[in-house]
Amino acid sequence: MRNRLALLWLLVVSLLLAHNAWLWVGQRITPDTDIMALLPVQQRDPVLQQSFIHMVDAAQQRVIVLIGAADWPEATRAADAYLNVIKTQPGVMSAAAPTEQLQQAWLTIFQQHRLALLSGEQEQQLRSEPASWWSDAALRQLYSPFSGPKLGAWRDDPFGLFAGWVQERAQETPVRPRDGYLYVADAKRQYVLLSLTVHDSVFAMGTQKAVTGLLTQAHGAAFQATPAADIITAGVILHAAAAGQQASGEVWTIGLGSLLGIILLMWLTFHTLKPILLILLSIIIGCLGSLSVCWMLFGHIHLLTLVFGASLIGVAQDYGIFFLAHRLSAGPQRSSIDLMRQLRPSLTLTLLSAVIGYLGLALTPFPGLRNMAVFSAVGLIFAWLTVLCWYPGLVSANSLRSGALVRWYGNTLRLWPVWRNQLRYWLLACAVLALAVIGISRLGSNDDIRLLQNSPPQLIEDQIKLSRLLDAPTPVQFYLVRGASEQQVLEREETLKHALDPLIAQKKLTGYQAVSNWVPSAATQQHRIALQTDKLFGEALTTLARQTGADADWISQTRAHLLQAAAPLTVEQFMQAPASEPWRHLWLGATVDGYASIVALRGLSQRDLAVVRHAGDGQAGVQWVDKVAEISGVLGQYRQYMGWVVCGSYLLIYGLLFLRYRKQAWRVLLPAALASGLTLAVLGLSHQPLQLFHVLAFMLLLGIGVDYGIFMQESDHDHGSAAWLATGLSAANTLLSFGLLALSQTPALRAFGWTLLSGITLVWLIVPLFRKDLLHGID
Amino acid sequence: MKRYLFVIILWMTVTGSQAEGTVIPQIQTMLAKPATLCGRFDQTKLLAGMKKPLLSNGRFCVVSGKGVVWRTLAPFPGVLRLTRDEIVNYSGDRVAMRLDAKQEPTVRIINSVLFSLLAGDFGQLDSLFSIDGSVTANSWHVALNAKQPGLAKAIGAISLDGGTYVQTIHMDEASGDHTTIVFSAIQTGDAALQPADAALF
Repeated sequence: MRNRLALLWLLVVSLLLAHNAWLWVGQRITPDTDIMALLPVQQRDPVLQQSFIHMVDAAQQRVIVLIGAADWPEATRAADAYLNVIKTQPGVMSAAAPTEQLQQAWLTIFQQHRLALLSGEQEQQLRSEPASWWSDAALRQLYSPFSGPKLGAWRDDPFGLFAGWVQERAQETPVRPRDGYLYVADAKRQYVLLSLTVHDSVFAMGTQKAVTGLLTQAHGAAFQATPAADIITAGVILHAAAAGQQASGEVWTIGLGSLLGIILLMWLTFHTLKPILLILLSIIIGCLGSLSVCWMLFGHIHLLTLVFGASLIGVAQDYGIFFLAHRLSAGPQRSSIDLMRQLRPSLTLTLLSAVIGYLGLALTPFPGLRNMAVFSAVGLIFAWLTVLCWYPGLVSANSLRSGALVRWYGNTLRLWPVWRNQLRYWLLACAVLALAVIGISRLGSNDDIRLLQNSPPQLIEDQIKLSRLLDAPTPVQFYLVRGASEQQVLEREETLKHALDPLIAQKKLTGYQAVSNWVPSAATQQHRIALQTDKLFGEALTTLARQTGADADWISQTRAHLLQAAAPLTVEQFMQAPASEPWRHLWLGATVDGYASIVALRGLSQRDLAVVRHAGDGQAGVQWVDKVAEISGVLGQYRQYMGWVVCGSYLLIYGLLFLRYRKQAWRVLLPAALASGLTLAVLGLSHQPLQLFHVLAFMLLLGIGVDYGIFMQESDHDHGSAAWLATGLSAANTLLSFGLLALSQTPALRAFGWTLLSGITLVWLIVPLFRKDLLHGID
Repeated sequence: MKRYLFVIILWMTVTGSQAEGTVIPQIQTMLAKPATLCGRFDQTKLLAGMKKPLLSNGRFCVVSGKGVVWRTLAPFPGVLRLTRDEIVNYSGDRVAMRLDAKQEPTVRIINSVLFSLLAGDFGQLDSLFSIDGSVTANSWHVALNAKQPGLAKAIGAISLDGGTYVQTIHMDEASGDHTTIVFSAIQTGDAALQPADAALF
């Protein structure tokens, strides 16, 4: 029976190895590094989601590079050198050149509808100024050698209205074509703007490596061409690559450090390599099992899951250690099979409570956390099965030797006090309780999305410089406008823009981008054409003719010529024209319940957010979208929700324990609860705000703490010394692995590690306090 | 990065040339390069759809390192001032139009092109224009063609004639409008700058 089980497990493990070999070698799988994949897929407003995808997709695949120098030729020389390097690998990235055809075609569509296109200022002047004001202005322009911005023949636009509109549109970006480059400047430098498009997923590690390598090389070439060049780089891929690099580095340090710690401890305890190999065996089978199952269930694995999984080593070892510690203290006359039979109930109970602890994570809607929960639970089950099926056959009574460390450590248990129903213990309890209450009452919370990722300062600095130079809108905060028809959407955009104009005047914004800037609503277009026909095509045109010596024919011809351009411009026409290319992402068009568009804001500072977000209040179909606040809101919501899950798990585990321990079940659970309470208090006293990842750690702490409680309750045959050894070994190893997590640069992981560092230490110290008091009986 | 594609809005005047061949250096040696250059201009415009030419005149000053003042006197008075970072159009004392480099980055390029053009400093203009030229004993002629089709469409063909100074600028726009500016009564030196014009810098 025992042998058959071992053989069956061998078969399962062989399949596992084959599957893993196929995954890594055959499929060449790589972990995800997209931080957004960790966030819940929300079943909510599909139009809102679509708007966000529109905004992000427009930016995600792009790397923007600004190459600047004090004078233009130096900047273009550096840019050429840079581009030459990029062009060596066309499969990785390509540079979009400003094509000349596009420049020429740009104006065509608007020229055909120019009568409907007016700048806000000129529209105002058309209402307020008399006809003579307009004829004066036209004459002054006509006789001046520099007639201002001029597009086409004079008679196409005698009053300079279309030119004014184009000039206003040009204000939507400070970037200009110049000598076949895109040009932007500040007071100190002139920059060439390069827009590079990454071809593959920016979240794939292979792409990140290729792109960062190529960019570094291009940087070198540009600096060689112009040593004083100022190069600013920005793009989603750079942040993703930095995060990926950091996490991969941490997988190595944390995973490897944890492993080395375990090996050293095992050696000092058992004085032979065999237990090390046995424990490694159970851990490795656990990890491979998790990977296989996760891949089969989810089809992908997140890098953060692997980082979290690295700490799984600290828990998966418990089962092996528990058996080995007992093997060490059991006499040589006891067979391993017999010993395992005795330990099986406790091992099963520890597994069950840990899996319950981990499965709490699976209840969250965060795909990344579910990934982690399944990874961890499966890993534990596989490690547990390995111990159960193989250890009795692999470890004989004479395999292990005890040493000085074990003897010394075993003795410490005798010195440890045991909780008694005495005044001094109750006083101590009151003091601890008071400390916990004070600490917890000072606890704040923080749900900032930036907890998930912190980019290198250089990247942030470049990003700030870039947005200052380009004055581009943020893709995560904007207005979503909805309506029953295209026209309603355009009209609502115009109403919203009207409410935003005062904010621009107050310098709370620098501008907005909207499709209605290019295609005004039909009502607005008609109104503008009527304004011009009334004010300009009569008296003003006649005055112009009289002053320039033109005749009545000229007046009627010119009027007819101008009215040719009075056909209204439609969204559809605009969308098909090359000129709309930079703005198409703003137009969602037909949606599930009508039409929708985006009004993007330029120059929005976080300081003025509170004012700007309310500008559209009370307007029908207008909604403020703030992805940053939304994600933070979700994190906060789940921090609270997870808190309840932790409390629920305590009850559930208490129920499980009650089945076995009856009235003594509190002794198993109390150490974990106390350690959690005190850790919360320390967080409060050290002014660390509570975040979701602390709460997740408390969940894990519950699982581990209950393990130790069960160990201590189960082994009474040798006064608990084997259980104490198992607890000590496991706690030391867990501290090593999670202690290293506390060194992580990612704030979320650091919080997670720090909580366990404090919590596990406390559990380790507290758990013997509540062991069965064998000398005095049970209180 | 079509996202930032914008048609360049160049002023109607414009431009210069480039140092290809031997013609440009010859012209450069013929041209005087005074720090201050003032004179009279006479402009003739022939516009599409209009039978009669439009005539205007006034005076202008080009001050090295400072900018250009263009004062139309008849038939409609107006002043245009171009400095490194700004273009301002005055009607009497009122500012009829102001465009600065912060608002419109091409202002600097436009102004430097214009300045180079009036000063006959063709070497500065080679990035924008290709040039054909001919030289006689004491006069020269150059034809400028914008290298960028978009720019060429906006400003058309430009030709300049001159000797010691630029004497004539002729512009033929693709739209069918034609402009000729003739410079005369050229004065140089600080005294050439009238107080009213000097006050504008």
